[in-house]
Amino acid sequence: MSETTNGKSDIIALNKVGKTFWRGKERLDVLQELDLTMKEGSFEALMGPSGSGKSTLLNLIAGLDVPSSGSLRVAGVELSQMSEGDRAGFRAANIGFVFQTYNLLPVLTALENVELPLLLAKLPAAERRKRAQTALKVVGLEDRMSHYPRQLSGGQEQRVTIARAIVSDPKIIVADEPTGDLDRHAANEILNLLGKLNTEFNKTIVMVTHDPAAAERASICHRLDKGALAL
Amino acid sequence: MTLLGVAVRNIKRSKLRTSLTLAVVAIATLFFILLRTVVWSWTSASEFSAKDRIATRHKVSFVMMLPKRYAQEIAQIPGVKAVAYANWFGAKNPKDESDFFATIATDPRALLEVYHEIQTTPEQKQAWFENRRGALVGDALAKKEGWKVGDKITLTGSIYPGDWEFFISGIYTTTTTNVDRSTLYFNWDYMNESLSARQKDQVGWILANISDAGASGRISKEIDAKFGERDLQTVTMSEAALNQSFLGMFSAILKAVDLVSIVMILIMGLIVGNTIAMGVRERTNEYGVLRAIGFLPKHIAQFVLGEAAAIGLFGGLIGVVLGYPFVNALVGRALEENMGNMFPQFRVQPGIAVLGLGLAVVLAVFSAVLPARQAASLKVVDALRRVG
Repeated sequence: MSETTNGKSDIIALNKVGKTFWRGKERLDVLQELDLTMKEGSFEALMGPSGSGKSTLLNLIAGLDVPSSGSLRVAGVELSQMSEGDRAGFRAANIGFVFQTYNLLPVLTALENVELPLLLAKLPAAERRKRAQTALKVVGLEDRMSHYPRQLSGGQEQRVTIARAIVSDPKIIVADEPTGDLDRHAANEILNLLGKLNTEFNKTIVMVTHDPAAAERASICHRLDKGALAL
Repeated sequence: MTLLGVAVRNIKRSKLRTSLTLAVVAIATLFFILLRTVVWSWTSASEFSAKDRIATRHKVSFVMMLPKRYAQEIAQIPGVKAVAYANWFGAKNPKDESDFFATIATDPRALLEVYHEIQTTPEQKQAWFENRRGALVGDALAKKEGWKVGDKITLTGSIYPGDWEFFISGIYTTTTTNVDRSTLYFNWDYMNESLSARQKDQVGWILANISDAGASGRISKEIDAKFGERDLQTVTMSEAALNQSFLGMFSAILKAVDLVSIVMILIMGLIVGNTIAMGVRERTNEYGVLRAIGFLPKHIAQFVLGEAAAIGLFGGLIGVVLGYPFVNALVGRALEENMGNMFPQFRVQPGIAVLGLGLAVVLAVFSAVLPARQAASLKVVDALRRVG
């Protein structure tokens, strides 16, 4: 990670990143020579109209996909040439995911859903459980640990998702429309929680949102349009 | 919590679908066990045959007759203790012609000497010996037909046409399972006296008790050699071999039963595969999430295959647990009572139960290989885009 003048290093650095998809014979340049850096411990939002490339950019930062061109360094690792297996390991160690539709496993309790990523970590069962309990306490759901997703409200489900995202102590949390399915009150709770993770736990947060109120919580808001950063 | 544990818990997702799939696996396993038991019981019937009994028939075929005098000549051969002769009579109850049971014309005294397993009271035995139209019926047959000692019954002959009147002189039980308890034995003389001169004094087969079971081969050869130069030659074999040659006539049925049992379990595999494929399709988004948080394609495959294995195991176990009482207490009891000579011991063999359970698991897993491959090969971003 490169050092910067204010002492914070760049945890995410995109250098002329392009992403091209093919729809049959039609070429779609979703991202074009994008240069972007994000600092460790920052809370940044990505906004833009549908099709602007913000979700594609988030997928690249999260290591879910690789750029078609350019260089992409996240948490000190060059992702652009990394194999799928290595990227899976990278994601498990460095990225926490928060999705719009929560995506909890309905057959597992809140505690078990949070424990799920730790199954990859070769930790003793007791340690896994302890860490999952701690994560749920952080999001204020210590009294809902044994509840199944169907027994939780939308806001509570999203908080379980956040607990799952932080349980393996990743450096970066990527949130794709985290408040998209929530009412204003629940959305504010989630945004407060993300803010707390950013300020108290120094997590770097990258959030895609359509919601201006959500974007206001971020310290930096990047606007994308047609695959490029809008000035 | 383990990866496999999560996979197993996935079967609780759609309770109705899982219940129906488990029912299919259980029923397929149960019927697999039943059909394999039919084949096993039928083919192993010869093992339950009496070792000290040999049978002589026409060299060409069962259906060709031998002169009755052969029985007396066989009785003269050293080592032969007792001889009985018999004819397949093939009569039916006119009240229900589809109701099959064996009717055999024989010499009553000789039959009970040769078949020491047949038990009846001295009074009933004597009554049968003294009544030319008397019949000795198995207890299972008597129970089924509602016959009791002293009843007069009329049967319709098929091989020997006409109405035949019998009096139930006695009801027998058996000391072993290899003797059918659903046969009607009657006096051979009653049949013989009604035949034309050309048909008279001929028997279908001759049974002999021998003093030394180990000498059955030698005695059989001696018998066949004795008639080797006659117009009507014989073939003599142990009761076990006789039963096996009789089974040969039904080999096509056995093969069909065998095939049906395999087809049934294969169909079960396809149904499980379909269920798993539907589940995979519905959970594409979840697999995307699992991949996103670091799980590898092999983990996704394990989830899918583990779920299939759980369905195969639980369904198979239900099939085995239900199969034992269904086969042993229900079907087995009825077959042993009514077709004891063909199914002397109709019981689930542990090997068959294990095979049924093993096949349920293996085929369930095998049928999930394709859905598992599809789930494992999903691109993470594509999977996340799909909402279940």
